[in-house]
Amino acid sequence: MLKPSSALLCALLTLSLAAQAPAGKAQVLPLGPTIPDDPAIQKVIDPLAAEIKASFDLPLVQAPQGLLRGRRGEENLLGYWVADVMRTAAQGTVGKPVRFGITNAGGLRSNLRPGLLKVADIFEMMPFENELVVVELTGAEVIQVVKEGIVRRGGEPCSGVKARVDGSPEQPVFVLTWEDGSAIDPAETVRVATTDYLYGGGDSIPTLRKGRKPFTTGITLRQMLLDQCAALAKAKQELLPPAPGRYTLPVPILEAIRDKKLKL
Amino acid sequence: MERRAFLASLGTAALASQVPLRAQEGPAAASGRITLLHTNDTHSRIEPFGPGNGAISGLGGVSRRATLVRQLRQQLGSVLLLDAGDTFQGTPYFNRYKGRLDYQLMRMMGYDAGTLGNHDFDNGVGMLVEAMEAMEQLQHANAPFAFLNCNFDCKGAPALQKWIRPYLVKDFPGVRVGITGIGVAFAGLVAPKNHEGITWRDPYESLKPVVKRLREVEKVDLVVVLSHLGYNLNGTGPDDLHLPGQVAGIDAVIGGHSHTFLETPTRVPQAQGETLVFQVGFGGVNLGRLDFAVARGQVRAASGAAMPVLA
Ligand SMILES: [Zn+2]
Repeated sequence: MLKPSSALLCALLTLSLAAQAPAGKAQVLPLGPTIPDDPAIQKVIDPLAAEIKASFDLPLVQAPQGLLRGRRGEENLLGYWVADVMRTAAQGTVGKPVRFGITNAGGLRSNLRPGLLKVADIFEMMPFENELVVVELTGAEVIQVVKEGIVRRGGEPCSGVKARVDGSPEQPVFVLTWEDGSAIDPAETVRVATTDYLYGGGDSIPTLRKGRKPFTTGITLRQMLLDQCAALAKAKQELLPPAPGRYTLPVPILEAIRDKKLKL
Repeated sequence: MERRAFLASLGTAALASQVPLRAQEGPAAASGRITLLHTNDTHSRIEPFGPGNGAISGLGGVSRRATLVRQLRQQLGSVLLLDAGDTFQGTPYFNRYKGRLDYQLMRMMGYDAGTLGNHDFDNGVGMLVEAMEAMEQLQHANAPFAFLNCNFDCKGAPALQKWIRPYLVKDFPGVRVGITGIGVAFAGLVAPKNHEGITWRDPYESLKPVVKRLREVEKVDLVVVLSHLGYNLNGTGPDDLHLPGQVAGIDAVIGGHSHTFLETPTRVPQAQGETLVFQVGFGGVNLGRLDFAVARGQVRAASGAAMPVLA
């Protein structure tokens, strides 16, 4: 299964060697189409792989209400939790306030059902290796980011802000405040917790790509969530969904989003 | 010492295959060939990629990489196995074994040298050193591999400093190879507490005296740079594509960081010929291969290709 380029390479090397040493034998690479496992290495890996798999069954924390993504038009409380954990972890990593967090609902692959959570549940919900990135945006850019999320996906899970769309689908009035209801200064520079996927331009929130001074933390979202669950269990607490109320979108507005007719 | 250790790790079969080659070339002819096998950004991918990973599903895995490397070593004899950094972070294996497993498996596979990527600092300098120590303490026939870097000033982190060497020289029949390494700037990639005591220096300026020393003092035939700068930053920072134009005398740049999948190396002109710049994606999906034929201190032929690590 060597690619043509490799075959070319072998030919080239054979030629050059032959030119130097006419008596030399041509190099042939009898590599088969499949590569078997190395027995010595596999012997080391097998028990560790079993250990990792066993750890997937380990209990994490009680989540009596579960954390659900919500159906269309409902708030994504699971996403809010993820965005909150991201924002808190970002603050801990950079040691400075991080006022806004945003992730993408499409990256959350399953609900966390009510009951005792296991490690495997977090892996199933978050199978990707996406990592936490901290960037700087202006207040105006934060407002634009939330707008883009609403228009394209009905609002991406966020932390630190409250969004509301009043008025009619034809003449919508968009209001975004900090979570305590205070106004966002468009000129102010704030730190934002997001993912390498969104910062890289995934899921069409183009304004996130304008993020300045990106700090790629190397911490996967999944690991942050696992750590948070473990911390709650250690503190003998339950995992409870965050309060709703971060997106207030009336039904006509939601319908306009569904029909791709909303402009903000 | 290094040479002896290396020859010992080759085993008698591979040594025997070297003898006729040398005899054909005659005792005075300093010519030979060398194959560089390499990985980058393996990110704790111990097992192959599972289903649902698109084009890379089913590819990679340390165990199969080991087989591929062993087969190539047996066939080619003069082989170096190298890594361009970011061994750590990416799977539960890293969270559980803190990089110790990754480095131990690299030793078992017969790596000769690696360099450090930004993610290798993810658990801080202390944990990095612990992983290096675990690799050294492993009971195994293969010698511990070297960590190469010439642009991290580690004076403020003595525990790490003793593990980092600016370069390594390896002798093969008819070819003397010098290898060094360079790392990406910490700003925006590594939290300050995780690289405490280490100062990043300009990679181009750091490389110049090392390449000069390798050429003029160590008299190597081939200079190889393990780089964790990234393939192409379009002028926003030092990178692999611009390196050959900035530092003359480098034959191969084995790159990482940008997770760039190249099928074949990019040939970049430089003051003394050309440099092969290569990188093989991430996660151990491919094994990179660069072949050089050298005669009287000159590279006579150079080529390379990415080899998929298939099931
Ligand atoms: Zn990297």
